[in-house]
Amino acid sequence: MTARICILDYGMGNLRSVEKALEHVGATATISNDPEVVRSADGVILPGVGAFPKAMERVRGTGLEELVAERLDAGVPVLGICLGLQLLFESTTELGGAEGTALLAGEVDELDAGELKVPHIGWSPVRWEKESRLTEGIESETPFYFVHSFAPQPLDADLLGSAAYGARFACAAECDNIFGVQFHPEKSSTAGLRLLSNFAGICSAVPA
Amino acid sequence: MILYPAIDIRGGQAVRLLQGDYERETTYDADPVDAAKRWADEGAEFLHVVDLDGAKAGEPRNLDAIERIVASVSCPIQVGGGLRDPQSVRAMLDAGADRVVIGTAALKDPEFLDAMLEAHGHRVVVSVDARAGQVAVEGWTEEGEESVVDAVAALSERGVARFLCTAIEVDGTMEGPALQQLNEIATATKSQVIASGGVGNLTHLESLAQASSPNIEGAIVGRALYEQKFTVAEAIEALK
Repeated sequence: MTARICILDYGMGNLRSVEKALEHVGATATISNDPEVVRSADGVILPGVGAFPKAMERVRGTGLEELVAERLDAGVPVLGICLGLQLLFESTTELGGAEGTALLAGEVDELDAGELKVPHIGWSPVRWEKESRLTEGIESETPFYFVHSFAPQPLDADLLGSAAYGARFACAAECDNIFGVQFHPEKSSTAGLRLLSNFAGICSAVPA
Repeated sequence: MILYPAIDIRGGQAVRLLQGDYERETTYDADPVDAAKRWADEGAEFLHVVDLDGAKAGEPRNLDAIERIVASVSCPIQVGGGLRDPQSVRAMLDAGADRVVIGTAALKDPEFLDAMLEAHGHRVVVSVDARAGQVAVEGWTEEGEESVVDAVAALSERGVARFLCTAIEVDGTMEGPALQQLNEIATATKSQVIASGGVGNLTHLESLAQASSPNIEGAIVGRALYEQKFTVAEAIEALK
């Protein structure tokens, strides 16, 4: 079965590369914030670039916060990408701080990069911290492409992957049907496409 | 090291020039998106795109093609060619480029460079073209009086995090990179250096990976990939 995946549009960032990558792995992708379109999807992607406070404001303003919570309750898998992952957490320290959706426990804080310059932009190997359907077939320490200055601090139980930039940081999380990655799978070549393909598989496996 | 397959766009097509000469051009793909997808599907970790029309015009001329490439590939891209004012740089980043490559303007207009470094930091790559060790500017048709090593050293002091160094004599020839010059440049800076020009076989890539300074972080490969001297996967392996 082809997974129908809705990429949530709240007016921030170029979503076409995510859309194209999903189509590349055989999913049907739609960019929308229309509740009916979101409700008809087998899976939801919360993307995001830019600053957390502004993005969260828009997610609230477009009614997507309730909608994401509603779809999660309905058992639909949700994948946060980059800032979209951060928005799943309780709060951030970015730009004076802001509340997130609190769908995952923990806060988002600036990278502890030491001597290295922030933002962290580039390819970094990702270590899987537990087994997951999302990362099936992708070896631990496979490089993924990052562009970020902040990272979440999930509960140990929710930690799916980590990478190092100065200190180690959490870069993937999973709790029930909530998934999130700090890196950009849509820019991470074959490994990224495999991860999106796995997500599409998770979505189509959920009974409608 | 990172392999940067190169896509030069001129008149809407993917072409390669020989030694930077607009009169000696070979067309490889009618649509540059096809080249981009081919390299990305073969596992490229980054793409290097040059808007040759833009380089000549002094402002971007192929933004639509850039947008289509960004939407079609699953890897980051850097784009150069005609980025000489903040609006052009902004437009290129908005089109989805992960990095912008600034050439002539970085050398001629220090205020512009400083403003771009301030606004975009590590997303800025400065391209320095060399002929006989001297800086060549203005789409390679004008020559400067400054040595490349001095120019790179001065620009890294200004905060440039990454350079793209092209040896014009060997560019497009597939006769091997200008290793000695690259090492001299890389030794003069703590910034990252991407080597461009002359790669024609896997031995050239291996020599880049082995012989050179740790600051050399990647290599641009153009013609050799289009002419199938080796695959993207083989090149990535050779650069390890």
